[in-house]
Amino acid sequence: MLPIAHSELIQIFRNRLVLVTSLVMPVAVGTFFISRHEVFTEIGGAGYIAAMVMFTVAAFGLYATAVTTLASRRQNLFLKRLRSTKASDSSILFGLMLPVTVISVVLLAVMMVALASATENPDNIGLLVAGMLATIVMMIGLALATAGLTNSPEHAQVTTLPVSLGVLAVATWVGISGTEDLTWLKRLLPGGSATELVSNAWVGGVPVSDSLVLLAPTLGWMVIAIALATRMFRWEPRR
Amino acid sequence: MSNTPVIDVERLNVRYGDFHAVKDLSFQVQRGEFYALLGTNGAGKTSTLETVEGHRPATSGQVRVFGSDPRDRRRVRPRMGIMLQESGFSPDLTVKESIRLIGALSGRADTVDRVLGIIDLTRKAGTKVSQLSGGEKRRLDFATAVYGTPELVFLDEPTTGLDIQARDDLWNAVDRLREHGSTVVLTTHYLEEAQQRADRVGLMHRGTFHREGTVAELTRTLPAVIRFELPPHAPTPPPQAVRQSDHRYLVETFQLQSDLYSLLGWAERNAVELQQLEAGPTSLDDVFRAIGHE
Repeated sequence: MLPIAHSELIQIFRNRLVLVTSLVMPVAVGTFFISRHEVFTEIGGAGYIAAMVMFTVAAFGLYATAVTTLASRRQNLFLKRLRSTKASDSSILFGLMLPVTVISVVLLAVMMVALASATENPDNIGLLVAGMLATIVMMIGLALATAGLTNSPEHAQVTTLPVSLGVLAVATWVGISGTEDLTWLKRLLPGGSATELVSNAWVGGVPVSDSLVLLAPTLGWMVIAIALATRMFRWEPRR
Repeated sequence: MSNTPVIDVERLNVRYGDFHAVKDLSFQVQRGEFYALLGTNGAGKTSTLETVEGHRPATSGQVRVFGSDPRDRRRVRPRMGIMLQESGFSPDLTVKESIRLIGALSGRADTVDRVLGIIDLTRKAGTKVSQLSGGEKRRLDFATAVYGTPELVFLDEPTTGLDIQARDDLWNAVDRLREHGSTVVLTTHYLEEAQQRADRVGLMHRGTFHREGTVAELTRTLPAVIRFELPPHAPTPPPQAVRQSDHRYLVETFQLQSDLYSLLGWAERNAVELQQLEAGPTSLDDVFRAIGHE
């Protein structure tokens, strides 16, 4: 697993296209949100900024990058090559996903610290971390499922749009309008409950037990994503 | 234990939807043997090879490699090296990084520098795979397959795109593996390579074995061939010689030595010069051509 992760890290840093989507783009968007925090706090509070930054990193830095690299590794038969060794399927996938996940987590942590120092400290750090980790696992699952429908790295630019734009749209909607009305719809949409959870964790004022319930839809999406991934993921290109 | 065949395939069937790629195929490869799997395009070689390598499941039948299921990677893969038909290396990694990665995952001990030396890639160690020529990629693929001198090596079209020097290097390396006792399974379009090196040949056609045996057994069923041209106004040659075109003649015979002797005697007596004279046993090419006519 570690040799695969190591080689994957080298490949990410050598490929400019991947580097831009996984690092530059989320950093730019995150910096924008945090530098204009007065404006955005007025719109939806610091929790809204945290949710938007989280989903920008999760949708582009993690999800879109993961789909692109998986499609590319499959297209050039690198996956088949790895499967010619004694490495198991799960260790291959862990190895491939580890670097991009670690980069995203580090990016997210740095931006959260920056947001906290620019605005206020989050009310419940444990809850914030739990919400973010659940979101990350959900996005990895969705990435594996989407990779099954993606034939090439170029194709990934199209296939990743529904999920990446979708979760950002949901986060924006929930973050700005709250969950007073259409509560269950907003919570059941992918990213909806995670946004509410992150917002609650940052701003506080909601009992922890109420917030923990919000993990359930994210975990549900995680299970659905992983189930889809096991059905749809392909190791070799279609012939 | 030592009598267990390295590869044991029993009534293997592989289907893709309606297409029946491999039909009831059975064969064994013994320890230390050099086995060539040959066939026309679409004969089912690749499907067979991929099933034996553990890359795809059998639709029915049993495949055993070292007595185990080849899909049990942890158990089987450390003992085998696979040279894929299409390389499958990341364009962004260097030659050295690629070998180090696949070597580390092979479960065998070796050094990157040693395998680089085997196929003369030392100068390319720091070059990215995207900048390699087709032949260099084949050599890289071979280097990863022989990392740690595995007991079993699969070579799928190993010499495609290689120049003569690289081809010789590769076959020398294979010879050294065999001195080590390694078993080799080859597929190739260059039948000469199989003819010169294989202990046994499995000749596939439409998903099943058209013939299987040693090269001598396969070629014995077809006649040997003598070809020559006669100058204009030469006397009529012996009756075995069949005229092919204006001056070209062909003799097909199961008694190559005596027929050649009598042909040469006839030419000597009549003071005729046999031009472009060729005589030899049937090649595997001819066995292949014969499939097409059946």
